[in-house]
Amino acid sequence: MGRDAFVRGVGAVSSLGLDWTSTAAALARGESAIARVEHFDVEGFPCQVAAAVRGVAEGAEDRRREFALRAAREAWGRARVGASPERVGIFIGAESGRASFSTVLALAQAAGGGARFDHEAFGQRARELAPRIDAAAVSPAAVASMLAGELGARGPCETLSLACSSGAAAIVEGVRAIRRGEVDVALCGGVGADVDPLMLAGFGLLGALSARGVSCPFDAHRDGFVVGEGAAMVVLAAEKGDAVAAVAGVGRSLDAWHLTAPDPEGAGASMAMRAALREARIEAVDCVQAHGTSTQLNDEVEAQALRRVLGARLAEAHVSSVKGALGHWIAGAGALGFLCAVHALERDEVLPTAGLSHPDPRCELPHVLGKALSKRVGSALVNAFAFGGANTSLVMVRA
Amino acid sequence: MRPVAVIAASAVSARGLGWRGLGKAVRAGDTAATPCKALGGLLAAQVPPLPAAQDVEPRQLKLMSRGARLSCVAARSLFLESPALPREETGFFLGVGASGGAVEELEAMLDASFSEGRFDLGGFGTAGLGACNPLFAFQLMNNYTLCHAAIREGLRGPNAALFSRGTGTVLALAEAHHAVAAGECEVALGGGADSALHPVTWAELRREGGEDVVPGEGAALLVLADPGHAPPLGFMERCEVHSGRQGQALALESARRSLLAMSPECVVLMAMPKRRDAARELALSVRPKSVFEAASLFGETLAASAALATVAALDLLQDGEVRRAAVLVMGPDGDVGLVGLAREVAS
Repeated sequence: MGRDAFVRGVGAVSSLGLDWTSTAAALARGESAIARVEHFDVEGFPCQVAAAVRGVAEGAEDRRREFALRAAREAWGRARVGASPERVGIFIGAESGRASFSTVLALAQAAGGGARFDHEAFGQRARELAPRIDAAAVSPAAVASMLAGELGARGPCETLSLACSSGAAAIVEGVRAIRRGEVDVALCGGVGADVDPLMLAGFGLLGALSARGVSCPFDAHRDGFVVGEGAAMVVLAAEKGDAVAAVAGVGRSLDAWHLTAPDPEGAGASMAMRAALREARIEAVDCVQAHGTSTQLNDEVEAQALRRVLGARLAEAHVSSVKGALGHWIAGAGALGFLCAVHALERDEVLPTAGLSHPDPRCELPHVLGKALSKRVGSALVNAFAFGGANTSLVMVRA
Repeated sequence: MRPVAVIAASAVSARGLGWRGLGKAVRAGDTAATPCKALGGLLAAQVPPLPAAQDVEPRQLKLMSRGARLSCVAARSLFLESPALPREETGFFLGVGASGGAVEELEAMLDASFSEGRFDLGGFGTAGLGACNPLFAFQLMNNYTLCHAAIREGLRGPNAALFSRGTGTVLALAEAHHAVAAGECEVALGGGADSALHPVTWAELRREGGEDVVPGEGAALLVLADPGHAPPLGFMERCEVHSGRQGQALALESARRSLLAMSPECVVLMAMPKRRDAARELALSVRPKSVFEAASLFGETLAASAALATVAALDLLQDGEVRRAAVLVMGPDGDVGLVGLAREVAS
């Protein structure tokens, strides 16, 4: 399997805190950051709440980069790693940023604004608008490139665009690069900055958002997810240093089933979890950081898959989802889940599922309700399952 | 990096469906650009109408970006031509581009959001959303370029969608290579799909690449497997990206050392106009017998470019005129991607 990948430092920017320490403390207390969106008019939107980050990057052209940079600096500062620039890789989960709303509007209107889209007129008028598209602000790769420049990293620089699996998939790539000996240090993570009109509209159109405006994973009253945003970063290294946690197994699979709905049998999710556990050479874990989106089908299928994969050993594992408190970070979600699992291993404390008060019998699991649970944690499983059916699981153990 | 076998391939490009003949066309310096209506008559390397057997069902089209459609076509073509290929645990690693949502949808949504001549966010949330195809979001998500094809073909193995504007697809090919070499899967598809003909993509590309950029579109897939799995078309020996972030000179020197180690008889170039001279100079520095430029045939195809150039190089190997070929990719970001192919490897 190659070398181990040790967790040397973590960092985050969230709507509960502008660093991981304050975020984790608030999560442990069972706090939630989900509130009505105030920084733009959400009247008429299918879901009018979100977990928005305030107090940093407000008004920035590309909030993803601001979030990611702050989280990366925190993780890097904690990691205290040394490696030559060629031996440092950057692996980031990110989706596209957005051209400014006025540019999008101008582009759309370039077609003439009539009932029928005029391609030719659009083609000609769009040329004049070309300089308004800031590639650095819209490219998914802009985040990883910026971080590589910031750290002076000259190893591989990858951007994973796998929707809700992006951040976890990016960590997988970093782990694999360390195991192959391609890098000694990997800055990995994910970022989402999706509390904006276009994303709330897009997910609203899909009917994926909570109409009640509540994120309550695995709860009997769940009715959809709530958009959140932030960045979660981790520095992995081949050298153990003072690391408490190490990544022991990774697994990836595709449902090949449906564009939005998971395979009702949970076969893809099970396959990813089993692959990660097999690679880690363990059959049980002490806690699970679930994908747990608060959508009807996803939570039920994930619970079913966990029961099937862990069997009787599920009783030893406490399960929680961070999306009840911080919403769904999309490209950053898997990396945030990873940080919660690191917290469990480092602090012997499993963070709770905020919003969960009436567990759905179809999602019967050893939930962590209310506040964080203190217990000895020697291993943890993290899940991230994306729209389109791309599944990623990671297993961590005490180093 | 131990070599893995290339056991099948597919492509869809401005030359239509299929990868055989692309090497010959690149070698001949063929071009395939025609006036593109969507870009106001600009010359572009457009994919011609697709055969129904490979194309996406009409009712699915509203769910897809152009890149996703081309990815689906390349995958269907692959499995039609190689029906014995496994699917269930097959890996799938794809370089994907950004966005690609139909501008008509965006325009309808925004058009309905005006009140008394001014854009109104409240109106956007009500009338605007009502005017839009509810499935629009699927067109905007990058990973769907991979997921549509996976769903259509039943691919369930390890996977990654790597964002690419050229060299990201070399990373996708490398991930497919590593997945096979590490035993994560026996067979993996690697490649890329994209269209630079989307007005927003093209506007961005032109801003960086200047007037000489010919936008293109396409998709190409290579099937990688352990040697011995099936009769090989060739072998992938190297797949790597040399970072241009600390300056182009360092990237070029690092790539030159790798290219020298590959000792290719021919180099297939895929570079943006402003980087073409540097790419050619780099290729010539290792004294190959020939250097071919693939961009004149395929146009600038962003996430598809490295994969299209690689299947063209594979075709050159198949023609028997060269035994070792390299693909050199220089995208808009200044990174240098290299793929090394050989017809045979020492057992």
